[in-house]
Amino acid sequence: MGRKRNLSEDGGREDEEEKPMKERRVQEKQEGRESMRPSMIKNKEKRAAVHAKLKQQKKVEKRKKVKAREAAEKKALELGEEPPPKMVPRTIENTRESDETVCLPDDEELFAGNDVDEFSAVLKNERSPKILITTSRYNSTRGPAFISDLISVIPNAHYYKRGTYDLKKIVQYANEKEFTSVIVVHTNRREPDALLVIGLPDGPTAHFKLSKLMLRKDIKNHGKPTSHKPELVLTNFTTRLGHRVGRMIQSLFPQDPEFRGRRVVTFHNQRDFIFFRHHRYIFETKESKQKESKGKKSKDEKNPQERTIARLQECGPRFTLKLISLQHGTFDTKGGEYEWVHKPEMDTSRRRFFL
Amino acid sequence: MPRTTTVESSGCPPLRALTFDILGLIKVVEAKGEQKEAPKVVETWGEPDASRCVLAASLVDREFDPLLGVARKSGKIEVLSPVNGDVRASISIESQNHPGSADNSIVGLHLFKGERLGSSSRSCNLLTCTSKGQANMTYVKMSKSLEDSGGESTQTTWNVCGSGSILCSKVDGDESYALFGGKGVEVNIWDLNQCAKVWSAKSPAKNSLGIFTPTWFTSATFLCKDDHRKFVAGTNSHQVRLYDISAQRRPVVSFDFRETPIKAVAEDVDGHTIYIGNGSGDLASFDIRTGKLLGSFLGKCSGSIRSIVKHPELPIIASCGLDSYLRIWDVKSRQLLSAVFLKQHLNSVVFDSKFSTREAQVPPQQQDTDETLQTEEEEEEEEEKTVKRKKASKEHSGSKKLKTKKKSKRSKGDSNDIA
Repeated sequence: MGRKRNLSEDGGREDEEEKPMKERRVQEKQEGRESMRPSMIKNKEKRAAVHAKLKQQKKVEKRKKVKAREAAEKKALELGEEPPPKMVPRTIENTRESDETVCLPDDEELFAGNDVDEFSAVLKNERSPKILITTSRYNSTRGPAFISDLISVIPNAHYYKRGTYDLKKIVQYANEKEFTSVIVVHTNRREPDALLVIGLPDGPTAHFKLSKLMLRKDIKNHGKPTSHKPELVLTNFTTRLGHRVGRMIQSLFPQDPEFRGRRVVTFHNQRDFIFFRHHRYIFETKESKQKESKGKKSKDEKNPQERTIARLQECGPRFTLKLISLQHGTFDTKGGEYEWVHKPEMDTSRRRFFL
Repeated sequence: MPRTTTVESSGCPPLRALTFDILGLIKVVEAKGEQKEAPKVVETWGEPDASRCVLAASLVDREFDPLLGVARKSGKIEVLSPVNGDVRASISIESQNHPGSADNSIVGLHLFKGERLGSSSRSCNLLTCTSKGQANMTYVKMSKSLEDSGGESTQTTWNVCGSGSILCSKVDGDESYALFGGKGVEVNIWDLNQCAKVWSAKSPAKNSLGIFTPTWFTSATFLCKDDHRKFVAGTNSHQVRLYDISAQRRPVVSFDFRETPIKAVAEDVDGHTIYIGNGSGDLASFDIRTGKLLGSFLGKCSGSIRSIVKHPELPIIASCGLDSYLRIWDVKSRQLLSAVFLKQHLNSVVFDSKFSTREAQVPPQQQDTDETLQTEEEEEEEEEKTVKRKKASKEHSGSKKLKTKKKSKRSKGDSNDIA
């Protein structure tokens, strides 16, 4: 491709490009006299030595900075003043490209739209969620294992064998049986790799890429979940699209969690990846460290030094989802309209997120 | 490879567009002239209510007394003033099976601008079509006062198709012919004066493998304003077809566009360029004479395109759809001029091209009274103007190559012409 471009474009442009390059080189040389970069040294031993020295210098400087900051903080504490403001690291998330579709809490149109969308019947407790889980045409090993894990996570989920039915027929059947959603686990090379979530009766259809799957039995010290209805945690679904996907996920679970069960299912969105985790939690009273207790749990309530802590135990499975497309209406690859499709031209910035 | 260099865009020329969404809201987007400002939502009409979801809209775009027809999901049709959003008349189409039901919703609406059945400034004619194929010509008398928005109406109803469901309907520039097409319905052309079928298409032959693709038209448009004989139709099997009534019943030209169904087709005034939008948000322009792709409109458009309109004078088009954005594109450079986020799934968009002149003529607080008082002389003047404009647009298409450089200047000049 590069060759073609060279052929098509005349040499004039190359000259233009070269000029600034030359200028830049000259500039670098002028600066170089003051600070020699180690990469410009040709002898390897010397280069390594210079590099090590530079690194050491940087390390010392950094340590000094940290110490100075800590000292300032301590001093402020002692004097009872306001401590200096904490530094916030620059991450990709907090330098994210500004997006006008981010939902605001005072947006009345958003709530009006929510009231009439496809999930409102389930989310307002008018219908109780009933999920049909099925697979792609071929599935083996990890696929069925994942499904049995999934059934233990989602209450009122029923597995149906796929057989040779068309997905459209299955959707029709599920509609007749008053299911509220269909989940299709797609396996490729005996490994689940995609999840299709279809809202019933009239859409939408979300297609997720599934990766980093870890089944329950592979998680060390995993817990066994009870059959209580789980609590649901959805974090970071900020934009309009994210909101919609969040509501779709929410509609898979019952809206009245049983807090006695202490089960929590988390969908955490970070940089458009949705992380799924399933935990059990427990509140415990624990002695504080002054009485050496080697982490033993003592239920001795007379101890004045005890405090309550929350402990988590993962129940699994553990996986990551990434939205590929959101289709308007139920599954229809030929005649379907998309609400959102991922296109390669969207990936021009790593700081742009859609959920 | 993504494009890294951006062509210098001249910003948005002054325009006014109205968008219609699934909550029944009508939003007015305006870009104000000289400063090349980004367009903004200036007004929102209506309360969010899903049963008032707008299914089709039609605008009579004229300087004096413009009208806006809106078909709601509940089976009601409202005639509004696009200037201030006042409801001028509201009717419901009567039929055997209730049009408000889900399987028989209104799919097409056209508001006639020409004189028909003695229409005056106090009445109008409209053509509606339901998905079951009931076409309905209605004569609506508009009430002058706002409180009495009832409006009398007389209706004539006929059936366009026996089976299948209508998905698209269009009326040609002279407003004497209408076309209907849909799922399982070949495109029909009807003479509106006699209410008689003039022509119907024939499905293309089986392909070399003997596979027959079922008829499923999703969108259609007449190619040229003065010619009802040529029209373009988009199908669910991502095919775009050009039909010529005078030539044959099968398509003259047909070509494929991408992989998802064609959802919107719009024509340019030059009579050979068409704009196509599909279900996955791709927008492209084609030369229909050859069936060749002129170019794609690139810009992070990710949701199905429901509606495309060409501005009658300026070289810009607007598209909207399920991604809730109204996007304004330059036709020549195919660059995105601006995108406005409108929060709901949008069903259609129309351009109100005469707003700048209207504002210049009448100060906004007097509009209501003045409109009714104005005499017919002005209407005549306006007709002359439209003729002039047609000529001007023809000239435009002739000197196509020269224009690209002086685009920004010319768009300014255009607006001056009208004013």
